[in-house]
Amino acid sequence: MRRILALVGVVAAIAAPNINEVAPLGKYTPVERRHWAFQPRKQVVPPTLKDPWIKNPVDAFILEGLQKAGLKPAAEADRTTLIRRVTYDLHGLPPTPEEITAFVNDKAPRAYERLVDRLLASPRYGEQWARHWLDVVRFAESDGYEYDTHRPDAFRYRDYVIASFNADKPYDQFLKEQLAGDEIDPKNDTLLVASGFNRLGPLRKNAGNQDVASSRTEVLTEMANIVGASMLGMTMGCARCHDHKFDPIRQSDYYRLQGYFAQTHANDIVVASPEEQARYKETMAPLEAEMRKLRFAMRRASEEEKGKILTRLEEIDEKIPSPPAAMYAVKNEPKEMTPIHLLAAGDYRNKGAKVGMRPPGVLLPEETPELPLETEKPRQRLAEWITDPANPLPSRVMVNRIWGYHFGRAIVGTPNDFGKMGLKPSHPELLDWLANEYIKGGWQMKPLHRMLMTSSTYRQSSRSTVGAEKDPENKLLWKMNRRRLAAEEIRDTMLAVSGRLNPKAGGPSVMIKIDEELIKDLKRPQYWVTTRDRSEHDRRTIYLIYKRNLIMPFNQVFDAPDTLLSCARRDQSTHAPQALELLNGTLSNDLAVAFSKRLTGDKVKQAFRLATGRAPNPKERLLSKKYLDDPDPTAVTEFALSLFNSNAFLYVD
Amino acid sequence: MPEHIRYARNRREFLTQCFCGFGAMSFASLQAQDAKRLSPLAAKAPHFPAKAKSIIFLFQAGGPSHLETFDPKPLLNQLHGQKRPATFGNVEYQNVNQNSRILGTKRTFAKYGKSGIEVSDLLPHQAKVVDDLCILRSMHGDMVVHSAAQYQMMSGRVIPGFPAMGSWFTYGLGSESDSLPAYVVMPDPNGTPEAGQPMYTNGFLPAVYQPAMFRAGKRPVLNLELPKGITMERRRKTVDFIRQLNEANMLGEDPEFAARISAYDTAFKMQTEAPEIFDVSSEPQETLDLYGVGKPLTDDYGRRCLLARRLVEKGVRFICVVAGGGGAETEWDAHSDIEKNHLRMASLTDQPTAALIQDLKRRGLLDSTIVLWGGEFGRSPESERGTGRDHHNTGFSMWVAGGGFKGGMTYGATDDIGLKATVDPVHFRDLHATLIHQMGLDQDRLSYLHQGRRERLTEVHGRLIKEILA
Repeated sequence: MRRILALVGVVAAIAAPNINEVAPLGKYTPVERRHWAFQPRKQVVPPTLKDPWIKNPVDAFILEGLQKAGLKPAAEADRTTLIRRVTYDLHGLPPTPEEITAFVNDKAPRAYERLVDRLLASPRYGEQWARHWLDVVRFAESDGYEYDTHRPDAFRYRDYVIASFNADKPYDQFLKEQLAGDEIDPKNDTLLVASGFNRLGPLRKNAGNQDVASSRTEVLTEMANIVGASMLGMTMGCARCHDHKFDPIRQSDYYRLQGYFAQTHANDIVVASPEEQARYKETMAPLEAEMRKLRFAMRRASEEEKGKILTRLEEIDEKIPSPPAAMYAVKNEPKEMTPIHLLAAGDYRNKGAKVGMRPPGVLLPEETPELPLETEKPRQRLAEWITDPANPLPSRVMVNRIWGYHFGRAIVGTPNDFGKMGLKPSHPELLDWLANEYIKGGWQMKPLHRMLMTSSTYRQSSRSTVGAEKDPENKLLWKMNRRRLAAEEIRDTMLAVSGRLNPKAGGPSVMIKIDEELIKDLKRPQYWVTTRDRSEHDRRTIYLIYKRNLIMPFNQVFDAPDTLLSCARRDQSTHAPQALELLNGTLSNDLAVAFSKRLTGDKVKQAFRLATGRAPNPKERLLSKKYLDDPDPTAVTEFALSLFNSNAFLYVD
Repeated sequence: MPEHIRYARNRREFLTQCFCGFGAMSFASLQAQDAKRLSPLAAKAPHFPAKAKSIIFLFQAGGPSHLETFDPKPLLNQLHGQKRPATFGNVEYQNVNQNSRILGTKRTFAKYGKSGIEVSDLLPHQAKVVDDLCILRSMHGDMVVHSAAQYQMMSGRVIPGFPAMGSWFTYGLGSESDSLPAYVVMPDPNGTPEAGQPMYTNGFLPAVYQPAMFRAGKRPVLNLELPKGITMERRRKTVDFIRQLNEANMLGEDPEFAARISAYDTAFKMQTEAPEIFDVSSEPQETLDLYGVGKPLTDDYGRRCLLARRLVEKGVRFICVVAGGGGAETEWDAHSDIEKNHLRMASLTDQPTAALIQDLKRRGLLDSTIVLWGGEFGRSPESERGTGRDHHNTGFSMWVAGGGFKGGMTYGATDDIGLKATVDPVHFRDLHATLIHQMGLDQDRLSYLHQGRRERLTEVHGRLIKEILA
């Protein structure tokens, strides 16, 4: 049967409808429209429970759920646990022993609330939360594919995201700037850098004749798919080849979303100094001259000569220096507009009916007309529609993400997919209430963080077992979820506790020294130029290069995403290569040496306080003393290394 | 955590199904045992009885010519120097264009074995084992550029970000070895093929399914040897100490922490046992000679093929041995001189390839091991740069052997100049579907929910090529 269907598909592709016809606007049945995520958000009133446990409405929702299931919340975690939890949550770094002592001894009222506020005000907050957003938008600093050309200016977008989080930029504005910064104000550098969002996807560049149409289709696909996944929680990408199998997304919806990008093209805005530009021109001039000559010669060359010319052209290509510093932005080029057609099986050669631009129809009244592709400021229109408070999705999607990062499990467990194949919300009313509050509060994140983190729900201990039978996955939050540190957090923490962390913020990304064999595994190894200033190598992981064809092995074993597709939620896997990395890896061993040198007094106590944020318990103390009671000079560095390998270090309660 | 890799709901549930004597074990080591059994890498039963347990993919990067290897086309030499007759139709190329001329081949073909299959004199060793090979002469893919074609060959998709075959099989079947990784890639020491690291990786599958890279050189596996100045005795103490620290922090039943303890056991085992695997000096001289180990041309690929056999013996699920990387001249990417390029590549790989088949067979391993040979595409009938051939994705050859495939047969055919697969075309996804089937899995059930789709290696559905199954 499948084969027959496939054959029908092929026939349909051959007998393509007239490409001058406009694709139908699509019809959406009441059943399709009734899916929870497409429904307007409800005006929810928090449950009116009276219980001293309830610190804010979040708790009322959670407690109601627990009571219905006959469960009780866990006791509040102790202060040492709490400060470690909130510091990792907001900064991705451990609290210092001094900070821990100060908080534990802070007898003033609202000490915890002040702690949360202090952490939210620190620039480390932006570094941690930008990482989450960068995962979602599959940020990387190279093209991927064969050459994996570096994007030496992509760091500006990363810094823009960090700055936006630190400034608590309203989320609606944040989205508008990224989708349409260049349209909003083409003179504003920040907005231009933000518009680089549209260029974050992998980009295929190959040697030889390239079909321009094919490459352009891939560029448009990247631009459209990420909007669905990151902002709408809709798997728009599934409708590229055919109508969505499960969700009411027609193929025409998909291409109408692409329509907003039909005019969009790359725009590199040079910011290099005149001297730097001159130097670039100087290097390029002879190369360009030679390339011109070669291309000219190519026209009348024999087959054999052609081969030599092509080889020479490839050699020159490898010599081309990095272009002068620029902002990666986009601009509209109405003259270079790509006509958008439905493509059978997503293949650019199988053009079907044409489309203009329109948001997904299931979120619009029936028969909402499309706009022509020529519409001015198209992406701004898309952004306005996305961020309209009446749009049911983006606010839900974002509060759901924030909830997920705080609690280890989002209300909708599939944060990029609010469709039928996604998970249902565990607390639908809470989700709507939070989304409404979020919009009411001007789409700001920090008040939301504050509300979630100061709730009793968040402050619960992770060590309760009361719900283990009734709710083994802890959907109802009868305890806090324990989590393993993310790859970046593990590295940053090892740097911090060994006293080596370079806290410098922002700027071009760092290439650290890595195994030669890894560099050899690149098609263009010459792109990997180890950063000369060694102090840069100890910077936070977010400032190291994210290169598509060389994910750092350390990050890779600890579940960092591959930056090729949007990553909504990192896995937390456990496997032997992690143990080998932490036991034998250069990074952990180097830092263990530095860490051990910091241990000058009561080594055991000091090491535990630095690495785990608490004093050793009697058993740990005994074991450690025994281990250290050894004349072997490597015992102390191995002791330090052991702490990096311990669960008390790698997990946050 | 998705359904299929979740640990059993509780330990009791697991213990009731388990009848071993664990009275003497400590609670934690008992849990570690559970964790091992319940870990996402634990060996899993296939969906139905499997024909094969392991796959060795001899990946010939760059695109070996079908016209110079397994697909004889006498017409080419007759048409040499002429434009392609219009009757053959058009295909899209990277560099070949309408002015290009047909290039005859300098290779000669002869019949070999009982099957009498024609193989070119470029591959005299593989010709000797042709009765064990099932040659697919009608392969085709969708892309004519390296990176995208390599992604499709490895992961079924023309873009990066999707799990490679090796990750899918590890996900579906787990690992048979507790001291070696389930999925191993042995890259070419000359460098990487175009698609780079993303072509081998787990994509959106959990990180446990990522490949272990066994590189050439002093450090074949990252992080396998002890740091400088640390003795094995010290390290043993350290690993014990870590275990004790972690046990001291366990409260009751805790499958995740138990899994961590188990991961350290495995890591320690890998560290002590894996180096033995690399030491091929224990092999008899006759075996070394068979693979060409010790001879300058074949030493590298011979070692890696021999290592592949040793890994199969230890239960490794999927091994990719890469021939080619680092640029056109050190891959099968013969743009400018097909003779020079292919003679070189064949002299490095032909003997070890045939040796692997012979060696697996005489050890009784070929029945349960699939060997797959081929690249991301073949090469054009027309010449590029006078004596070279361009990329060519619309009809080319690969072969499979062992693992329940028929030997000594050819399947499918291209037209008379090898331009298009015209008889029984085999798309990459059909090949994937057939490999999945031989490993005892159902291509639709071997799926993973990712962003609204049940993703599969075969994307939509591949055709099971029943005709080539024994």
